[in-house]
Formats: sequence, structure tokens, C-alpha cells
Amino acid sequence: MSDISRRKFLQTTSASALLLFSGLGRESQAASAQSYPSRKIGNIKNLKVNEQIAFTYPDDNSPCVLVNVGQEAFGGIGKGKSVVSFSTLCTHMGCPLTYSDGRLVCKCHYSMFDVSRNGQTYQGLASQWVAQVVLRLDAATGNIYAEGVEGLIYGRIGNLKLS
Amino acid sequence: MSLTKRKDTLPIPPVDAERYTTVCQYCSVGCGYNVFVWPEKRSGTAKSNAFHVDLSKQGQLMSGFSYTETMHNVITRKNGNRYNLAIIPAKESRINKGDYSIRGGTNALTAYTPTGVTKDRLKYPLLRKENGFVAISWDDAVEIIATLTKSSMDKYGADSVAMKFYDHGSSGLGFEDNWGAGKFFLSGVKTQYLSIHNRPAYNSEVWGSRERGMHELNYDVDDARLADTIVLWGANAYEGATVFYTEHIMPNLQGGSIDEKKREFASGEPAEEGRIVIIDPRKNATTTVSQDISAERVLHLRPNLGTDWILANALARIAWENNWYDKDYLQKRTDMKTFEDYKSKSLELAKPFAAFLADAEKITGVSRKEMEEAAAWIAKPKTGGFERRTLTLYEKGIIWNMKNYDQVAAIAQLNVLTHNVGRPGTGCGRLGGHQEGYVRPGAPTPGSIYAGGPPKNVDKYITGGGGKIYWVGATDPYLSTPNSKFFKKSVKKRANNLLDYLDNGGIPSDPKAYVAKVLEAYEKTDGLFMIVQDIYKTHTSEDAMLILPAAGWGEAVDTSINCHSRLLRIYDKFMDAPGEALPDWKILALVGNKIKALYTADGNKEMAARFSGMEWKTDAEVFADGAQEFGDNRATETEEARLSAECYKGVTHAMLRKLGNEGIQTPVRQDPATGKLVGTKRRYQYSFASKDGLFKWYGTDAWTGYPAEIAKYINNPTYPFWFTTGRSQHVWQTMYHDKRIPEKLMTVPLPYLEIHPDDAGKLNLKTGDMAEVFNEEGSCLALVYVNDATKPGLVFGIMYHAKGTMNNLTSSYTDPKTTIPWYKGTKVGVKKYNGKLDDAIKTVSLLSNNDFRTQ
Ligand code: SF4
Ligand code: FES
Repeated sequence: MSDISRRKFLQTTSASALLLFSGLGRESQAASAQSYPSRKIGNIKNLKVNEQIAFTYPDDNSPCVLVNVGQEAFGGIGKGKSVVSFSTLCTHMGCPLTYSDGRLVCKCHYSMFDVSRNGQTYQGLASQWVAQVVLRLDAATGNIYAEGVEGLIYGRIGNLKLS
Repeated sequence: MSLTKRKDTLPIPPVDAERYTTVCQYCSVGCGYNVFVWPEKRSGTAKSNAFHVDLSKQGQLMSGFSYTETMHNVITRKNGNRYNLAIIPAKESRINKGDYSIRGGTNALTAYTPTGVTKDRLKYPLLRKENGFVAISWDDAVEIIATLTKSSMDKYGADSVAMKFYDHGSSGLGFEDNWGAGKFFLSGVKTQYLSIHNRPAYNSEVWGSRERGMHELNYDVDDARLADTIVLWGANAYEGATVFYTEHIMPNLQGGSIDEKKREFASGEPAEEGRIVIIDPRKNATTTVSQDISAERVLHLRPNLGTDWILANALARIAWENNWYDKDYLQKRTDMKTFEDYKSKSLELAKPFAAFLADAEKITGVSRKEMEEAAAWIAKPKTGGFERRTLTLYEKGIIWNMKNYDQVAAIAQLNVLTHNVGRPGTGCGRLGGHQEGYVRPGAPTPGSIYAGGPPKNVDKYITGGGGKIYWVGATDPYLSTPNSKFFKKSVKKRANNLLDYLDNGGIPSDPKAYVAKVLEAYEKTDGLFMIVQDIYKTHTSEDAMLILPAAGWGEAVDTSINCHSRLLRIYDKFMDAPGEALPDWKILALVGNKIKALYTADGNKEMAARFSGMEWKTDAEVFADGAQEFGDNRATETEEARLSAECYKGVTHAMLRKLGNEGIQTPVRQDPATGKLVGTKRRYQYSFASKDGLFKWYGTDAWTGYPAEIAKYINNPTYPFWFTTGRSQHVWQTMYHDKRIPEKLMTVPLPYLEIHPDDAGKLNLKTGDMAEVFNEEGSCLALVYVNDATKPGLVFGIMYHAKGTMNNLTSSYTDPKTTIPWYKGTKVGVKKYNGKLDDAIKTVSLLSNNDFRTQ
């Protein structure tokens, strides 16, 4: 799904988030290789401050968000090192996270993660910081690629291979 | 790129991994956990594993099974082999149902590993020599302490030995260790100079309730889901007793427990979403989370510091004027003779209602309208005339308030007046900080000033030159005692005087010669021999002469109860203690047995007898021995009130191991009809815990202003701010474990101060700046957060931090009735500090932790 439109990304994510919410889930389509795929997820040129792009990575069961936080952030790319990306499965008990004002908020038990500080749980219950997606910027095109995940995605024994 | 080491896979326990039951080592909630241990090189599979969960599927939200990066570690056992360790929240526990907090979620990270963050655990007894501490054998350490204690008692009397020990459960402590310490100090040494963990004396923080006939742990977690109204009074449940809030209070506010209510309530009785009254000067996270759930069902009252008992009496008077009480209940269950005293002094019925309320408004700063609304939420009968069900929980904001005794008594009485005890959905007591596990021989001071007290202030004794030996166990008074700067200075001086004397001519290595020289020093100096017994070196241990290594959580078998259900469970041993560290009970038994032998050799039978009865071989024996203290527990259901709250007589470790996460609720009684052991879900349905079973009323004191220790600051422009303290969700107590965990230290790198934007503006402070907080007692440099948690004129600081304690700002005031300090209130000045700590600022989040709103 390398060239999927932003709109489609949003659709995919809300669908899988819904699935998770309804408790149905499904067998993961685990990545066959042991290394993280490289996947284009957006372009830096049209990513305004506080604008978010929802996508899934490294597979369809793992909703993520790409956001320009408008200030220097750990692992940030772009001129201001302000574009970062995170898993949006709360590391506490797996509820969906919402991006708002520089943080990811979980309304299940109110954990809050600072996206400028490596996904640090600055308030709430999640003892594991939220997993951060490793980004690569293609300087020539402005394309942003997801190329890895640092930290465990909630509900998995391994980010890539669920077996 | 990561600030900390991250993992993207976790080891899987094979089906035959060792499995143990335990309970979180931290807060009062006592969440159940399961522990798995298996050889490092072995692995289960996604489909076949000890979790019995299909790990090949994406885990579902709120499934009750969580296994995250912070729940795994690799430990080394005494056999030299490495093992995986997974500590995961128990889904089958009715306390947490698989939920956990940021504290308990890191239980695995605190396990001892020889190469990890906990590698500096204490492993051997350490004796302070000329150039610092050296490791010595247990034999020598025991001989030094035993000989010195005996000689000191013989020469200067039992009061020459002073102690400061925890008395609670969890954290690797519990009934076993408390019984060990109790036997040694209360039956053996018999000193009057005993004190309990952070505080200066040996006392209950709730004599104001207990002396009424009501133990403070009288409710069940279910009551938080059944209550029509929950009152949190000086009790920040979301941040301090987290899973109790998220699993029991939150569902009630959301309406998730209405079906349960319908099942428990009388037919026709209204059952709705719960309401919550939060009484706290600060708009803490409990308040803002509750508001985010349902703003119109949250009432937040912000009394002036120290005035809460006046507010409690005002709410009671409003209930009285509106006839929101049950006369029959009062006559049947409470002492109507003492009720007269309550009516005249607490309700002040002689004073016209309007004038009474006007006074209460002036003192507390809470408006009449707010008081009336709160009183209605607490006591006004529901539609159809059904009695409202209110659960009132108070904690440090009350027990560590000015006038401890009257504060607690006033709240207990408000709840009994309105019959909010002993029914489903009611109760009145402590939210709790840590878990409990108290069993000891009788204390020298049985109660408050009204019941044989007050107890002696050990801080004043030590700082005033009293005592020769000061034995500190699992507490760090240099951080945690009130007015800590003065305390530290005084102890340091006395410890150094002793060291200087010993050092002169060399510190002898032979234990006998060593003790002889200490005894000589006692004659020539005011020297204090401090022993610190702990799992790590502490701030206090820098001035100890001897440091003893204790076993921690999971390294010995412990038992404790939680606060919200008095649920007794086993905290099983799943790993070895580092080096030669021993459980506390064993350390005390070694010394006790040695003292007994010394007295026997002297032919002093009487003293030898005092130190006998500590010949235990196992944790299970200590537990069983302690049970004798509870006396006869044959009782019917209606007689439960006469049993002591933590009575576990008849229960054994083997039984608890079988019960696992289910546990049994204390007091445990032996049913006279069946002979079976039965737990107690909820207390005081049939009678109270006084001799005649009636609740004893007490007329509280009138408002007379602030004590001299605080009054000196009032109207002094150098100290314009009221100052209060509290905890952060992330870190436990003095951060003894958490300061070693990088994620925790990055999140809470420094002591911090919260200040209102209006005040911050005047001082030119913004979030991320540093400020100096000061008064005549002490000072602290703190990281500033500007937010609306505090009111203008009030600042808040974190109580304990490994990098600076705010307790050095608190005064030496204690309630003359109980010797309980007022940790939560004083006055301070604040000024901007121009230095910057850039490294800390780069990694700490500067976002506001009480704002949960999303756009
Ligand atoms: S809420 Fe308390 S008992 Fe439960 S996991 Fe957290 S610290 Fe442990
Ligand atoms: S699932 Fe997000 S805070 Fe609990």
C-alpha cells in the first residue's frame, strides 16, 4: 500500500480501530520478513502544524499517526525536526489514542503521552512509553517513509512476527 | 533515537514455567499479579505458553491481558543461571481485573539483577570505618548490635534504644516482618521511643475514628461501584490509588455499575450514575478526570488549609437542620450520652444556623451554596425517601492536616450521623497510601490524649540528645520526617561525634573491642549509633554506623492486606535476595536470639525471657506466631465488630497459596456454627467496635486559628504563599526504586512546584523555569509548572524526591492529641532561580498533567 491516498489511509485506520474496539480483531497478517518494511506515509511539503495523517504500520492491525507538532521533537524529521509518528494503540490496555495539542490522549484511563518527548507517559497509567515509528525523509521528493518501530506495539509479543 | 532502551519483542514463557501469585509491591489498591520465571534460553510458542493466551493474534483492547516492555526482566539466581521474569497484572483478581498503574507496571524492572539498574542493592552488612563503609559478616554485625543493645539497656535503660520502622504491608514487608520487629522492640527491648516510618511517633493516624469505635478500613471495593455519591477528601485517588479509581470509581461515574446497583438496592430505590464530591484545595487530576467524564456530577470544594473539620461539621449541621438523618439508627447504634457533646461542640446547636454557616464560610473559604450542595449530595434522601448511599474516603490531606484528631473524628461523625456506614455503597475511612500488615504486641501508648496518650515524639528526643542507639528500618527520615533539615543536621552531628571518638586511635575490627569503644564514647560524647536496615543505601544511611541488607518484595514470603477490601493474600517468593540480604524478621530474630543468649549467660532469666519466642525457622512460622496476638476469633457475622481489623487467626500460608488472587478478607472469623474460617466483606452493619458496641461521639474543638509554628508566617510578606504537598502518579514514596528507572527519572527529574498563572506572572515564572521555595525551616530548588491546579496564593510541591525534599519546609508542629505532624501545610516564599538545568528540561515533559481535554 505504498501509494495509497491520505483519504484511504484514514479509512483503513478507522476500520481497523473499529475492529479493535468492537473486540472482534482478527488474525494478524504478520510481516513475513523479520525486518521492518519501508512504507511511504506522506509528504512533508503539505504537512501543516498540528496536521495529522493516520496510517497503519508495519501491518494493517497497527494504527499509527504522523504529525507535525510545530516544535523540535525527539526523532523528529524535517527542517524543524517537528514531524514525528507513533503507534496509536495505548500501551496501557490497548485503547485508541487521540492526538491533540502535542500529546496523545487515551480516554479509557486517561494516559497522556508527550509526542515531543519520545512518547513519554507524562500522566496516567501506561508504564511503557508509546511506541515511536522511525521515519526517513527523502530530501528530493519530500516523501516520508516509515522504516521501523522503536518500542513494543501494544497487544503483541513482537512487532513483526506474531508467532 | 530512543531516550531509553526499547524492545520490540518479548520472551514467551513455556507452559511449564514456574508460576507464582503475588500482589503489587506499591500502593493501597493491592492489584493482583502473576509471576512467571523460566530459564533464559527456553521459550514457549505463540500458541502454547504459560499465559494460556494465543499470542499469534493482535491483543484486544481491555482484554485484561497485558504484557509490555516494562513487565519483563532477566534475573540471576543463586545457582548462577539466568532466568526470564515476567510480572503481569492478574485478570482474575477482582481488585484490578487485569488493570495496573504506571507504578505496578514496572514491578519487573525493580527486580535485582547483578548488571542492571538495581545492581547497587545492599548485599552485606556494612560497618562504617575511617574511610567509609566496609563489608562485614552477619556474625560480626549481629554480635555488635546485640552486645551494644544489651550493654546500652543495662547501663542507660531500655529508652536508650530508639527505633523508626515501617509498620505496613507491601514493598516486601507485611505481617511477618511486622511481627518480627514487634517482638524485638515491643516485647524485648520495651523502649517507649518507637516511631513509625515517616512520622515522629508511634501512633495511629486515625485515632479520631478508632476511638469512636470505627476502624478506618470498613468498606469493600464494591462499595465504590455501588455508592450514589463518593466523597474524596484530601485523597487524590486517580494519581495515588490509581486502579481503585479506574476500576471502581470511574465505572460508577460513567454509569457502568447501574446494573450492580439494581441488584443490591431495595426494590424501587433509584439507581443512577454516581456523583463525586472532591474536597481538596488543589484541582488535581482526580478532579479533572472526573470532570471530563461528567462535569455536572462533580462537585469540587477547595477549603483553606487546615480548616476541613470545620467544613465537615458544617456539612453535618446542614444535614441536621434538614433532618437528613435516621433517629432510630442513631438511638440504636450510637451513644446518645456523648451525642449531646457532639451537638453542642461540633454542630453548635446553640448558635443560630445562619450565623453558624456564616462563620464556617469565613473560616473555610467555602461558600454556603457549595456546602449546601455537598451536604445534599452526601445526605439528602433520594426520591421515594430512600437513604442515600455515600462512601467517604479521606487520606493524607486529612490525616496529615493540622489537628489530626479532630479532622478525622469530624469526618467519621458526619458519616455516622447520616448513616453512611455498614450498608452497601457506604463506608467511611482511609483511601490509604500503602497496603497494611500490622500485627505486633501491644504498643506502649494505646491511644490519643483521650486514651492514655499522646505518644512520645522520637524526633524531639533524638534531636534533643536522647537515646544511644537509633535503629531505622525501611524508611528514610532525612527525606521524610517533617522539618527534616533540622533533624538531619542534629543526627549528623551526633553520628559524627561518635565517629570522631572511635576514629581517634583507630576503629577496632574485633566486635568486642569495637563495642567497648562505642560504650566509652557514650560516656564522653553525645554520640548516636545509627543502624539503617534497608534494601539500598538511603539518604539517612550516610550517617549510619552499620547498614544491614534486607530482602525485598518477591525475595521472601510475605502477606499483607489491601486497603479497599482488607483482602489478605500471599506475596510469594519468586527469586533470591541479593548477596546475603535477609528478610527483616530474620535479622531481628538473629539479634534477639543473640541478646537472649547473652542474658542467659549472665543468669538473667527475666531479661532472657523477654527476648525469647523468636526462634522461628520459616516465614510461615512467623505468620502463625503473630496470629496469637488476635485472641479468640470465634464470632458470628453479627459479632464481627469486636474482631481486630487485620485478624487472620487460623489462616496459613498454605491456605493463602491455594486461594491465590482470591485471598480472604480480614477480619477473618471462625464461624461458631460451622467451625469454618469466614472473611468479612463490609464492617459495622450490626454494631461498632466499642465495648458496648455503640459509636462514641466526640465534641470537636472550636476554630482558634493556626498554631505558633505557622502563625509566625501569617501577615509576613516574605512568605506570602500557602504551601501544600502531594505525590506524583509516577513515583513511589521516596523514589527508592524509581530513581533507578531511567523512564521515571526522565519524567520526574527534579522536585517540582505548581503555581497558579496569576502568581507566576507576578514572579516572572514560566513552566520549565526553576524556583527557590523557602521559609525559616528550609528551602528547596524546584522545577516550575504553571497551571490551574492551585489557587492564587497557594503553591504545591512534590513531597518526596530523591533530588531534594520539600519536607524540610514543614514545621515541627504535631497535633498535641496524637503527635501526628501537619505535613500538608505551611507558608513559604518563592523566587525565580536563574540557573538552568538544560539536560533535565530537554527530556522532561512540560505539558500540564491535570488537563485531559482533547479538541
Ligand atoms: S494501582 Fe497501586 S497496587 Fe495497583 S498496580 Fe498501581 S501501584 Fe500497584
Ligand atoms: S488503555 Fe489507555 S489508559 Fe488504559
